[in-house]
Amino acid sequence: MEFKLSKEQELIQKTAKEYAEKAIEPLVNQIEDENRVPDEVIEGLRELGLLCLPVEEKYGGAGAGFEGFVVGLEQLARVSGGVGIFVSVVMLGTSTIAVHGTEEQKEKYLTGTCKGSWIPSVAMTEPDGADPRMLKTTAKKDGDHFILNGTKRFITNTNFAGPMVVFAKDADTGRINGYIVDKFCEGYSISEPWDKLGSKGAFLSDVYLKDVKVPVSNMLGTPDEGFQTLKVTMAMGKIGLSAIYLGNILAAYDEAFNYSKDRIYLGKPISQFESVRNSIVDIAMKYEAAKLMTYRIGYLADNTANKAKLVKDSAMTKIFVTETAVDVSRIAMNVFGSYGLMKDYKMSRIYRDAIVGPQIEGTANLLKTVVATDMYK
Amino acid sequence: MNIVVAMKQIPDLQQVRIRNRQPVLDGVPMTFGSIDKNALETALQLKEAAGGNVIVISAGTEELEDTVKEALAAGADEAYLVLDDELENIESSVSAHLLAELIKQIENIGIILFGEGSGDNYSGQVGPRIAEILGLPEVGYVCDIELEDSRVKVTRSLEDCEEIVRVNLPAVLTIMADINEPRIPSVTQILKAGKKPKQILEVEDIGLDLKGDKKIITLSSLAPENKRKQITVKNGEELVDALLTEGVIRR
Ligand SMILES: Cc1cc2nc3c(=O)[nH]c(=O)nc-3n(C[C@H](O)[C@H](O)[C@H](O)COP(=O)(O)OP(=O)(O)OC[C@H]3O[C@@H](n4cnc5c(N)ncnc54)[C@H](O)[C@@H]3O)c2cc1C
Repeated sequence: MEFKLSKEQELIQKTAKEYAEKAIEPLVNQIEDENRVPDEVIEGLRELGLLCLPVEEKYGGAGAGFEGFVVGLEQLARVSGGVGIFVSVVMLGTSTIAVHGTEEQKEKYLTGTCKGSWIPSVAMTEPDGADPRMLKTTAKKDGDHFILNGTKRFITNTNFAGPMVVFAKDADTGRINGYIVDKFCEGYSISEPWDKLGSKGAFLSDVYLKDVKVPVSNMLGTPDEGFQTLKVTMAMGKIGLSAIYLGNILAAYDEAFNYSKDRIYLGKPISQFESVRNSIVDIAMKYEAAKLMTYRIGYLADNTANKAKLVKDSAMTKIFVTETAVDVSRIAMNVFGSYGLMKDYKMSRIYRDAIVGPQIEGTANLLKTVVATDMYK
Repeated sequence: MNIVVAMKQIPDLQQVRIRNRQPVLDGVPMTFGSIDKNALETALQLKEAAGGNVIVISAGTEELEDTVKEALAAGADEAYLVLDDELENIESSVSAHLLAELIKQIENIGIILFGEGSGDNYSGQVGPRIAEILGLPEVGYVCDIELEDSRVKVTRSLEDCEEIVRVNLPAVLTIMADINEPRIPSVTQILKAGKKPKQILEVEDIGLDLKGDKKIITLSSLAPENKRKQITVKNGEELVDALLTEGVIRR
């Protein structure tokens, strides 16, 4: 058992931290206000290999595995939750294609993302919900094409060109499969962006697919592999979410700890109060626990051949880390008092970001049913 | 042309905490001194402008073999190291001796770069000492370097002026922290760093005895305490008088 980053992972952490502090931190307010990740940040992430951390080198990725991914993403999300979601969804798209794609699909879409200018999306959720059993989007085979129709809700990165993995129901067989749609092809359109409470920056909108023609060669996996593809996507998304909200916890810890030393009350820092000290200890303990689970899921992702098997562990990690982030933000907010509510204080953004985690990529309630089904089977 | 950069392994100062007025170094990862990173960046820019190889040299504890990956990730092509766990807190004359031996192993050297001072002790001695040992010209306080065939035009940042000198190569240059902003290593380069060539020497190969009094022992690292005089004045006139008496201002 080893609980230590390798030198390489330590350096990946440092690169992500340094880049986030130097290049993202000065733009955080702009990212919040404009609700988009600036082009120069996307380019910077791409150049440093932080955009495509787990993608294999032969497709232009960094080849850092999922251990490298969680360690790097934690540091990016510590500075901006929005950038965290943006990078996580890039991972989600590339991983889904990497696991189930053909060589041609990988060559085209992974290389186009890591070395070109594409930004992937994954579209599962619909107005009726995120549960795959209630998908209404259909794919109808028509010669050597599928024709896709439907509406997808709350989809990230829809404003960038690149591949979108769309999950749809086969109009004839009722089976669910993933299809790679080139965003902005004929029949693809998006809504105005949703204005969300926190984790701003990652563009979020609905997607309308109207008679979108997808070549048969763009289906992911074989027709009967659809459910496996879905499981992989679900697991990967949760690994990303865990790393993002681990970064959020770390940010809350940094803010609360420093504030407790700087804020003077009757001539002494508030860290002199036992209640404040206990709060800081609670946050530190929760961070350590969340970190162990998140780094472990990175390890499991690198060391599990069948990624569909990660569904349960990734769900447990995601529930724990995102709910812990909400707890930690509440505790940290109590250390701040009213100052923490003010926009001028980072704490207010960290709090708004934290609230988002448990509600996305499967709510905690829904995920617990997934875990329970596995446990009682 | 080979460009040599000397870099010293030190604890990551950003992660050092102070307890009982003493630095806590347990569990703090090792890195290189920040001006050493400026020196490396200088070397990389020179290489980008004129070609050549960037070779990092360093002497330190066994951990250095891992630490040097940071320099290789930032773009150095090769490393020459002396590794020995006895090489902790060594005195600058010993460092200079070891590094000079490493430099002798390298052919076709153009420029040997040092930071103006190390990130821990900042004695600023190793560069000049090595120039002396190797009989090479040395230029300090360098804030700009221009290559000119077999020599370099170097700007030195002095307290109230800049001095421009030309020096024949090979030469030793010690550079200032504000010469550049070191690049952030990419993840791809980080993962390749471990595969770059490394030449490793033992202290015995150099024939040096590390025992005895050649270590630096830090007795105290506290800033000298300043006693404030706390003179109270009632009005501007008294203030002027007090400042005159203290010699802060003159009539
Ligand atoms: C910032 C952000 C980014 C997003 N990015 C993407 C994206 O890129 N791609 C994508 O496809 N989606 C994305 N989503 C959508 C998100 O994943 C879903 O909205 C989320 O999974 C919740 O689904 P829902 O809103 O339909 O909630 P619902 O499913 O309607 O849930 C409502 C309530 O019912 C409970 N509930 C629902 N089903 C069950 C069940 N079976 N058992 C027990 N309780 C249940 C839930 O726990 C919750 O309390 C994003 C959302 C946000 C906010």
